[in-house]
Amino acid sequence: MAQKSQEPVIGDGSLHIGDRVVYPNQGICRITGVTVKNISGQNWEVVTLSREEDGATVMVPKAKVMGIGLRKVADIGAIDKVFDELANPSVDPQLDWKIRHRENADRMSGGGLFGTVEVLKGLHALSRVRPLPPKERELYDSARHLLVGEIAAAMDIPLHVAEDNLDYALWPPEGMKRKGKVLPAATLGPPTPMRAVGDEDDLGFEDEEGEEAAPAPAAAPAPAGDEAEEAEEEEEAPAPRPAPAKKAAPPPAAAKKEKEKEKPRAAPKKPAAAAKKAPAKKAAHAKKPAAKAKGKKK
Amino acid sequence: MIRIVTLSEFPPDVIDFVSRRLHAAYGMGCELEGEGEMPKAAMDDEQSGWSAPKVVEEMDDDVTLYADDKILYLTAEPLVAPPGPMGTGPVDGFAQYGGGKAVATAHGLGEKGSLPLDQGLAKRAAHYVGHLWDLHHCFDPRCAMHPGWSPGFAQYPEVALCLFCREKSERKIKLGSS
Repeated sequence: MAQKSQEPVIGDGSLHIGDRVVYPNQGICRITGVTVKNISGQNWEVVTLSREEDGATVMVPKAKVMGIGLRKVADIGAIDKVFDELANPSVDPQLDWKIRHRENADRMSGGGLFGTVEVLKGLHALSRVRPLPPKERELYDSARHLLVGEIAAAMDIPLHVAEDNLDYALWPPEGMKRKGKVLPAATLGPPTPMRAVGDEDDLGFEDEEGEEAAPAPAAAPAPAGDEAEEAEEEEEAPAPRPAPAKKAAPPPAAAKKEKEKEKPRAAPKKPAAAAKKAPAKKAAHAKKPAAKAKGKKK
Repeated sequence: MIRIVTLSEFPPDVIDFVSRRLHAAYGMGCELEGEGEMPKAAMDDEQSGWSAPKVVEEMDDDVTLYADDKILYLTAEPLVAPPGPMGTGPVDGFAQYGGGKAVATAHGLGEKGSLPLDQGLAKRAAHYVGHLWDLHHCFDPRCAMHPGWSPGFAQYPEVALCLFCREKSERKIKLGSS
């Protein structure tokens, strides 16, 4: 059914079997071969890749290899430029969510190294202004994951060291330098409304505190669909600052009621989930701090 | 199960505090597995500290790890890491991403401007266990996955994960359960 060809030309000829490549949105993969697969009665020549992270096999039709943005892992020169870019603090976050969403989606699907850097940097800058909505938080994490993987692969360093270095650039510790220039030390992010004002702006921490008492697996934050999220965003995007001020007028309790009215589908789910799972976890907690000292390790 | 192995002496109440906080953060059992010594081969060439990746690599233990078992080594010694593209920076631990072993140090805790020993160690422990579950650094200063050198880490002593990190860790823990 499947047969291996001898000297396959992959893409534009720059890729070879055994090469480490970056698959957009998937991460670092290794080209394991070119085979012919019979799919729906048709023979397709596919390039098989093995994702390094978990060994998953990815198959790409050979004719589409270049079209999907498959590329070799960046070289050290490119990684150096990435860190120059990350250490350059001047970024104004794009506040219009529509433009931001379109740009970020294009960058991620393009699979370019600097596209991923821009997504990470843009969302990082935005996170310094206000908390990211759930989908952008996920995008931020994916961009970070891809970038850390590529830095580690390109420089042959552990993932942990790669991520620490990435954050030495994004959140410079005291005295951190980049090419002889001292970077401004990271400052604490803007105080979150929850701490400063009360509970007007729900960041999800309220849920967590509830769960802390009854540590149930994450009562999903308002299962906000695209529409709800977009509506929320549209409210915030034109004027991110004044929004809390408007809401701050009624007393906290009244504001909460108003919120519940606004999200009728989401509200009832949280307490239900917490109530269900609370007893089991509580019971497990009682036995936990078992301190049995076994034999000595060397 | 999160298994703690101490490589330095810690008061029992500190270890108890750390295991309780780890349990609360990840919903997993956490116990003191035993004591050990820093492997001599992990001493950094410049003798300025212990190479964190080597400590994890060189530790020769006989603990059998199942799919959802994680080992956390706790030490009070200063740790260093190999230089990366930004040079060297503060290091308070090391974890094998998505792997089974991590090390966290209590070095520097209890000093002026930093968290007290128990809270600081618990927060660092939660941070490195998070990396074992594939969590990345988080921008939320209240989250345990916030970088340890950032001012937010000392500003918020509570050992808690933000909603995103908590959900992600729960997904990973479910997938990894043996």
